Amino acid sequence: MNIIEFVESSLTIAEMEARKIKHDSTELWTRLIQPALWLLIFGEVFTTIRAIPTGQFTYLQFISPGVLAQSVLFVAIFYGITVVWERDVGLLTKLLSTPSPRSSVIVGKALAAGVRGIFQAVMIFGLALIIGVNLRLDILDVFGVFVVVVVFAMCFSSLSMLLASFLKTRDRMMGIGQAITMPLFFASNAIYPIAVMPRWLQAMSAGNPLSYVVDALRAMLLTGDYSGLGVDILALFVFTIIFVSAASVAIKRMVE
Amino acid sequence: MTIPQPPTAGTVSEENGAPLAIQVSGLTKVYQKGIKAVDSISFEVKEGEIFGLLGPNGAGKTTTIKMITTLTKPTAGAIRVFGVDAMSSPQRIRQMLGFVPQAISVDGDLTGYENLLIFAKLFFVGRDQRNKRIHEALDYFGLADRANDLVKHYSGGMMRRLEIAQALVNRPRLLFLDEPSIGLDPYSRKQVIRQVRELNQNFGTTILITTHDMSEADELCDRLAIMNLGKIATAGTPQELKRSVGGDVLTVTVSGKMPDSVPKDLGSVVSSEQGTVKILTLDGEKAMPRITDYLEQSGVVVESVSLSRPTLDDAFMKYAKTSLQQEGSFGEARSARRSITRHGR
Repeated sequence: MNIIEFVESSLTIAEMEARKIKHDSTELWTRLIQPALWLLIFGEVFTTIRAIPTGQFTYLQFISPGVLAQSVLFVAIFYGITVVWERDVGLLTKLLSTPSPRSSVIVGKALAAGVRGIFQAVMIFGLALIIGVNLRLDILDVFGVFVVVVVFAMCFSSLSMLLASFLKTRDRMMGIGQAITMPLFFASNAIYPIAVMPRWLQAMSAGNPLSYVVDALRAMLLTGDYSGLGVDILALFVFTIIFVSAASVAIKRMVE
Repeated sequence: MTIPQPPTAGTVSEENGAPLAIQVSGLTKVYQKGIKAVDSISFEVKEGEIFGLLGPNGAGKTTTIKMITTLTKPTAGAIRVFGVDAMSSPQRIRQMLGFVPQAISVDGDLTGYENLLIFAKLFFVGRDQRNKRIHEALDYFGLADRANDLVKHYSGGMMRRLEIAQALVNRPRLLFLDEPSIGLDPYSRKQVIRQVRELNQNFGTTILITTHDMSEADELCDRLAIMNLGKIATAGTPQELKRSVGGDVLTVTVSGKMPDSVPKDLGSVVSSEQGTVKILTLDGEKAMPRITDYLEQSGVVVESVSLSRPTLDDAFMKYAKTSLQQEGSFGEARSARRSITRHGR
């Protein structure tokens, strides 16, 4: 496989998605409703009643990175449904009948998920600033957040496409999307610290990729303590490479 | 657009050594659960030919195309496209071909121009060539003035034309059309057929087409294969297939004396009643004047003679042994309609 061709076609697939967003960006905006509700309602209420101990930070500060991670997860995990839809209308068949390497279809779409993730991040930053959440927004940290968001979106969108290659219908993908996202979200440190969890949930959280992402985002946006960052990012890259490779091999099942 | 005559010089003498566009031997596909979709078929398509693959639903046409386009791996057998082995270099094969799948599969959320642009890029068409080819294709298929509209606002016929345009941006040597006219109105259908034929004549593109429409196949194809139950039931030119049904039918209206028979070398009387005689003959056009002469000489007054040929439908019925009307293309028609409404939201 020619590496230049691979990069070119990945970017073309991503461009295809980006052009679609340019023509109709409704979905991007509706995707902001949920994180906005988490911040404005859940966050504000729990900040006021101080029910969850978050140390030196307000609860709103504490959940802002968690809400960002969650919203990117939701964007990414439904990419499999798009692929199933494209299979149903014959688009995928045609993409796979081009000489472009199949892995570039996965990587391109995963990149597009990353672009959507960046949009979520920018908007959530904006909202946080408007409601007066104090975040460390210096250039390097923001750049680091974008990198983590893109890789995280790639990771879970390719997991979603991998699952789609086996499940093959939209109904099943809707079901599995819910079945994956909610447990990941609640069994993570996104909306409460690991310390307040019961022992069994702490164990689950330790094996939960979302916890590593939230941890990395929180380090960059809040604490400035980068000691765990290396492990977080390494874990994220490993998961991403595994899912992208597996999805690249499995995608041909969709059109057989 | 003027249609240059296809090059005739040389083609006849090269007939025997003409390169093969597709060479398939012993091709078999068994799906999970043991369903044998394609059962050890062999056929060849010559370069520059329009080759039709016919057969009832479930005959294995689409699976065959999927194997040749390297979308699915054969269980057994060999495929060569312009001499390139499909198993060992699928990517080289995909570079040479254009593929228009059965369901309308242009992207409704992109403009016509963008649909072509993305595919030109995915086929690695050089930057210097890209825009020229895209605009030529849009012009040729009469889509230039709608190039910047979202495809979901196109009509079904326009989508189909755009799709063929899309399959052409890489200038394929071999074009696959899977049911190109399904779900189209008669006018759009005619337009698509004309453009397919022009492509073949102007650019020498080899075309493999599947269709349920026998008159379309008859009109368009140089050679045909009829598939049934995963096998090739018969193959040949449309003329050969029709002839193999067993000859032409002459219907003669007479007054006065009714003939009971005609000489064997002219044909045989099938029915003779109420002033109408039906005669089955091998070559109707040649036999017509001879039969008329014979009848008049034997004292019959011939009022009119009409010749009807077996249609490709008759050939199809003979070899596929299932009627298109009975089997129905309901499922496929429905899926085509569904894909049009989806894009047309």
